[in-house]
Order: sequence, then structure tokens, then C-alpha cells
Amino acid sequence: MTFIGKSVKRVEDQRFLTGKGRYTDDIVLPGMTYAYILRSPYAHAKILSINTSKAEAMDGVVKIFTGKDIAAAGINGVPCGWQVNFKNGDTMKEPPHPLLVADKARYAGDGVAMIIAESKEAARDAADMVDVEYEELDAVTNAADAVADGKPLVHDDAPNNMCFDWELGNPIDEVNAAMSAADHITSLEFTNQRVIPNAMEPRAAIGQYEDHSGKYTLHTTSQNPHLTRLLMCAFVLGVPEHKVRVVAPDVGGGFGSKIFHYAEEALVIWASKQLNRPVKWTSDRSEAFLTDAHGRDHISKAEMGFDKDGNILALRVKTHANLGAYLSTFAPCVPTWLHGTLLQGLYTTPKINVDVTGVFTHTTPVDAYRGAGRPEATYLLERLLDKAALEMKRDPAELRLQNFIPAFDGVKEEGYMTQVALQYDSGNYHGVLERALEMVGYEDFRKEQAAARDEGRLLGIGFSTYIEACGIAPSAVVGALGARAGLYESAQVRVQPTGKVSVYSGSHSHGQGHETTFAQVVADKLGIPLEDVEIVHGDSEAVAFGMGTYGSRSLAVGGSAIVRSIEKVLEKGAQIAAHKLEANPEDLEYAGGKWTVKGTDKSVAFGDVALTAYVPHDYPQGLEPGMDFSSFYDPANFTYPFGAHIAIVEVDKDTGKVSLKRFIAVDDVGNVINPMIVDGQIHGGLAQGIGQALFEGAIYDEYGQLTNGSYMDYTMPRADDLPSFEVDRQVTPCPHNPLGVKGAGEAGCIGSTPAVVNAVMDALAPFGIKDLEMPMTPERVWRTMNS
Amino acid sequence: MNLKGNYQFDASSKAIWDCLMNPEVLTRITPGISRLEQIEEDQFKAIADVKIGPVKGSFEGNLKVAEKKEPERFVLKITQKSKIGNVSADVAIALNKKEDGQTEMEFDGKAKLSGLLARTGQRVLSGVANTLTKQFFKALEKELA
Repeated sequence: MTFIGKSVKRVEDQRFLTGKGRYTDDIVLPGMTYAYILRSPYAHAKILSINTSKAEAMDGVVKIFTGKDIAAAGINGVPCGWQVNFKNGDTMKEPPHPLLVADKARYAGDGVAMIIAESKEAARDAADMVDVEYEELDAVTNAADAVADGKPLVHDDAPNNMCFDWELGNPIDEVNAAMSAADHITSLEFTNQRVIPNAMEPRAAIGQYEDHSGKYTLHTTSQNPHLTRLLMCAFVLGVPEHKVRVVAPDVGGGFGSKIFHYAEEALVIWASKQLNRPVKWTSDRSEAFLTDAHGRDHISKAEMGFDKDGNILALRVKTHANLGAYLSTFAPCVPTWLHGTLLQGLYTTPKINVDVTGVFTHTTPVDAYRGAGRPEATYLLERLLDKAALEMKRDPAELRLQNFIPAFDGVKEEGYMTQVALQYDSGNYHGVLERALEMVGYEDFRKEQAAARDEGRLLGIGFSTYIEACGIAPSAVVGALGARAGLYESAQVRVQPTGKVSVYSGSHSHGQGHETTFAQVVADKLGIPLEDVEIVHGDSEAVAFGMGTYGSRSLAVGGSAIVRSIEKVLEKGAQIAAHKLEANPEDLEYAGGKWTVKGTDKSVAFGDVALTAYVPHDYPQGLEPGMDFSSFYDPANFTYPFGAHIAIVEVDKDTGKVSLKRFIAVDDVGNVINPMIVDGQIHGGLAQGIGQALFEGAIYDEYGQLTNGSYMDYTMPRADDLPSFEVDRQVTPCPHNPLGVKGAGEAGCIGSTPAVVNAVMDALAPFGIKDLEMPMTPERVWRTMNS
Repeated sequence: MNLKGNYQFDASSKAIWDCLMNPEVLTRITPGISRLEQIEEDQFKAIADVKIGPVKGSFEGNLKVAEKKEPERFVLKITQKSKIGNVSADVAIALNKKEDGQTEMEFDGKAKLSGLLARTGQRVLSGVANTLTKQFFKALEKELA
């Protein structure tokens, strides 16, 4: 039975689509109370006093905790999981990130008090009656401004609001020398704007303490339940880890925003013990806009030098990365190790220097958002390439092909060493762009475009090619780069006596379809029906350990761990089968769900062997009963998916509205287990990336207020904004993991944004417009055309 | 949010001034205001209900008249608190004498918003503010007539 490579329908969709999913907020526990977090309306304010007496006297109010109570209980703030140092070797500034603030609010949304009541409504009503006296202070929101002298400080011990400054690549002198030898330099100053994740399910958490056992259970909307447990137990609450169970049940999307350990998780756990009652907190949409970690927000200056033939000589990048008011779990790593390291792109650029300053501002914390650093790197490179082509009067596709790294498979030919600390595993970059050009009918399009221009219509084509470092990540490597965690994955394969198989994966599914894809791998390798496999995930009591789902790592790392455990099952199974067949294990082969003595028709089925393992009456001597294996897989390298995207747009001359006419995506994500799921991931990623290009963007006013924190004000892409995507694949297997897979979760979101922006710029070329910021709203485009 | 505009009245600046300094009149003519109470010289406590798009709130706070130069100009200092966010604004109001006994009232200021008020509907807020000021001017015109 083969399942790998088949578009098996997602087994989880039955429950999702019939309303039977079980999400955190669906869970109601006996005696449960409801928490509401009162948040600072100001971006920067001293808290002069808090009076809770009126609120406490209200019906249904159980208890109110303030920042002072949290501090008095000796509870630590939320920790950061990644350390980036200053260039001079000093440790990054890592100010405390309290669960509730006691004396100062640092962004509009900072938690000030937790009101716990018998109902959600009572908690909310009581919150209205808590009197907080604030002294409002000036705020900074823009990362490039915030580092200037004399600006308001987010944290007193972080001068100039700097968290770190960081550099990677070739020494700046070498890059400057290469740049001054260039015949042409293309430069770009731009903002990669802040976006808000908008997972379908808002965050929620339920803390439950059981005094008979002294154990806690946290139900939470997490992409990363085990790491949440580790951070919460060891760094925040000081509760022993073996006394805490963390369950992330069905989770409705995350896009990165649910990787991190949030204050509310620790608050409900702590409060549940204080009250000896379960405490549930559920974010509303407005709160989600304000408190889910945001993404991107880079202000960059980038220059690329070329020789007279268009060969890239050097790249120089200076970025101010907005980290928000506090360090979220992986915040420092996103603009550095996930951004700087990708600035080689697909190109042979011989000299690269990237300089990144991490900056605190009075805004919502910023962390990984689908692609995390890699979209920012891709945007920068791909805008430069298209702009350079325009300036040097070269064809943008041809300029890319000329500068691509030649193909290598990572087996016969070695991986490609970049100037920025990575070794690409395998790649055929010309292949994806050439295929995309063929699909779009490039030459014909240019004719169509010229004809349209004659009619006064503005058609444009935009290119983007990308590479991403996924399958995150080899623990030793990331450890050397500042990670405070390993990034392996665990998997336990438990063969039940009847031959049914339970798989416990440390990789969490919140929309990706693990219950299908992982089951396909298991069913395929064991030759058993798909329905005989159950994928269990998201429960720290069931699963040994897990490092979560993000960085397109689930299949490459989590799937590989499953394969390792299956290998152990088959090895033991072969010993039992050999005993039953009175043969040597070496003389057996496993196929179609049975072990067969080679060259004979003597065989024994998987189910018989499983039963024998648990009923070991007639059994190999010295062999342990049972069939249950666990593995921890630590990858040898990152995986490097890549691809080429092409967008065709038409800009309405009268209104400035950009219509996306066609979108072609050719992605190489290595081997594919379920093509339909990969297509779905690509489609979703494209929509998100296109959203950033055309619609989305958080806007703060000068006082640090998020001015578009609702669906009335923040534009998400809708189905009718998008064309029917034309996607195709190339397959260059990953040479270093047993499935040959590279990861597909982020690809669409990484490649699509610059393709759309480049297409708009191409459409606007007759106006002599070379730069335009995202999102390319009708107003912005119209104003630019008419200025 | 910037607040800026003007309106022409067929009345003297003194007559307008007197209306603007009279809490009873102001309560009548200001949209949403349900109570205006003088707490001391040039200082009032105000209670108002305002609906802005989907956002509705009861505001409570102070109005302070400062930098008075009768009957030419003054600065209105507004601080209003509500469950949906707070508003503070300084608005300079000028009463400029025109020909034929007419007076132009000019206002110029900036409002600072926080909370839900800031992040929901701020985009539509200046439109709402325009409508409210128009209502205010019309009502004032009636008072003066």
C-alpha cells in the first residue's frame, strides 16, 4: 500500500467542518471561573494607583489580582528563548516582561490587572469599575526614530532603546571595497511593515489546579505546548515540570503567533492554585489585535553593487528591527539569524554584510510571523533585483538567472556555502524560474503589456525567487547562535497488540494536517491501512517531548523522528517474524504489511507479529516483549526550500486599485507526502504574502495607539481579491533527512510579497516611479501616480 | 486626530461668547451632552454619550476654558474618560469679527485618543467629529437667532 505522494483527504477535516473540533474555549470544567485582563489604554504611562474596591464588591467577582500582587508573589516575567549579543560582545538588553505590570505600562495593551469572576460578562463588567490612575508619558513607535538620543525610553536600562546590534557576513571593509569597485549600485530604503497575525481562533488558556494531587493542567492555544510548559515552569512560576500537564487541543491557526509563551498562560495557572478553581481566559478579537505578537516591522537600507555585465558584486544592508515593548520568546532571532542568514538568496553574491539593530518601542511585542525573517530578506533582495534590472535596462528574469547559484544535489555535489553562515542542502534554482517563465508565457506577456500600454492600461509583471532555511533546526548549530533550546523533535510509535498503531508526535498540528500526513508516512512504511494509524499530539502527558510547530519543521524534523521509530519497530518486528518463520532476520524482507522469507511464499503479517510481541509465549530468547519505540531526531542541517513566483497585476489608472490578474508559483519543497496539503499550504501562504503587499499593515499614531485594531480598519485579503493560483512543483530531495522533505508551510508567504510589489512597480514604470511602500492600497498608488 | 474648521454666524462675537460660556446653553446645543456642571470658575464637569460607528460610550470628564480673551478667543481643554477609551483635546477657538456684523468662529486643535476608541473606527472618527460640530453650529445658530 503506498500512501506517500497521494492526495489523501485530510482526516481531521471531518471534525473541523462539522463543528466537532474541540478548541480550548470549548472546554468547560466544573467550578470554572473566568478571567478578564484589564489593559493599559496608554502606550507609555506610570501607574499611580489602582483601586479595585468597587469592582471587588460587584456580584460574581471572585478575585482581582494586580501587578503588585504578582510581584509580591515573587513571580518572574516571561522569559526570552534566544540571546543575541551586541557587536562588542555585551549580552543583549533583556528587561523583565512582567505578567502584569505594577508601576509602568509600556504599550497600549500591557496587562494591569486580572479580574476573575463567575462569568466572562461579570469579569468584564467589573474591569470597567477598576480605577487606575495613570500619568501618561511620551511614546516611541518607530524603530529608526527610537534609537536617537533624547527619545523616551521603553526600559531605563536600555539606552537609546537598543536591545542589541548585530552583524553578519564579510567584514564591512571588504564589502565597502567591493561596492566601490561596482559599475552600478542599486539602493533601496524601505519599511517592511508590521503585520498582525489574525489566526482564526483567538488565544485562550485554562488553568486548573487539583489539590488532591498537587498537579496543574494548562489547556492553551499553543503551537508549542512542551516549550510553554518548560518556560512557564522553570522560568516564570518555579513549579516543578512533572507536576504540570500542558494540552494544546485543536488550535485554529497560529502563523507563528502561538509559538510563544504568553503571560496569560502563567496567570491562569497561578491563579487556579490561589483560588483552587479552574480559571479560563479567552481573548476577544480586539485583544488579539493588541496582544498577539505582531510580525515584520523592519526599516532597512540596502545596496547591491553590480559589475558592468550585471554580475552581483556585493550587498550591504542596515536594518532597524522593531521588537516592541518586551522581548517575546523568539524575538531576537527573527531579524538576525532568520533574516541576515538568508541574504545570499539564490545568488552568488561574493561579499555580503548585514547589520541589524534590535529596538524597543512602545508597541506590541514583535516575533515570528509566517516566514519569520525570511520574507523580510526575500523582499529586500527581490526588490533590489527588479529595481536594478530597471535601472540597468536588463530583463529582471534574465538578471536573476545570470546570478543564480548553479544546481547541486548535496550528495554528489557538496552543499553551497553562503557568505552568511549557512550551507544550502540541495538546489536547482534555474529550474524553478525557467518553469515559472514557461507557465506565464513570458514573451507573450511582454507583447500584451506593450499593447495594453498603448491603450493606456497599466499591466505589470513582477518576479520573486526565494530560499528559506526550514526544518528548524540542528540543535548544536542554533545553540551556537544563541538559542536557549534544542530544536530536535520526538516521536513515539506504539504498536498495539492488534496491530493498530498510535503515534505520539512532539510536533503540534494547528491546521497543517499532521493527522493525515504523518499517518500517510506511517501507513506507507508499515504497509497498513491509513485508518489503523492514530496521530496523537499536543498533550505533554501523552507525548514525551516536543519543540513545536513553526519554521516549516514538522515533517522534516517531526516526520523524520517518526521514521526513526518505525525503523526500530521494523527491526524488532523482523526478529519476531524470523522466530515465527524459523528463518534468519537477514533473510526476510518487509513489504505489503508482512515479512516474507526472500524467494519463498512463507510470510507473517504485521498484526501477527504485533500480537506476538504482547503475547510472547513462543518468542525469541532474550528479546523484550512489547513494541513501542521512541526517537528524538536532531537534524543534520536546516532544509532549504526554494522557488520562483511571478505576479501579473493591472493598476487602475483612475482609482489606483491594484488587481492581481495571475499568480504563478513554482516551489521546490523537496519530496511531497500529500500534494493536496502542500498545495493548500502554498495557497494559504500566497494569500498571506499578497495580503502584506496590498492590504495589511498595523498603523500606530504618534501616541503609540494602534489605530486599526479591528476588521473595520485592518484589511485582510478576501477570496475575491485573489486569482486562481497557478502552482507547480519541482522536486529536489533534501539529502539529509530520511523523507527527503524540506517543508512547505512558509514558502507561499515568503515568495509572494515581493512578486506582487515588483509587478505593481512594473505597471507603474511609465510614471517613472521606482519605489513605493507596502501596503499598495489604492490611495497610496493613486497619490503616487498623481504627485 | 486633527480638529479644524470654521462657521459663519450672523451675530456679534459678544453674543456668541455669552452662549459659549453658558453651561445651560451648551448642554442644550452640544450633541450627546447630558449634563454640564460648573465646578469652579471656567471649569465644568461634563457627561456625554457618543456613538461612533460600532463604538458607543459614556464619557465623563472635565472641560476647562483657558487663555480667555473676551470676546475674541479661548482655548477649550477637554479630558474625557470612558470604558471604551479616553479623549483629551486642546482646541483653540477664535471669534473673528466680519463685515455686516457677522462673526466667523474658527477652531483648531488636536484630539488624542486611547483604548478601543483609538483602535476601532479612528478612521471614521473625523467624519463623525465633522457631523457633530456641524450639529453644534446649527444648534448655536438657532440659539442666536
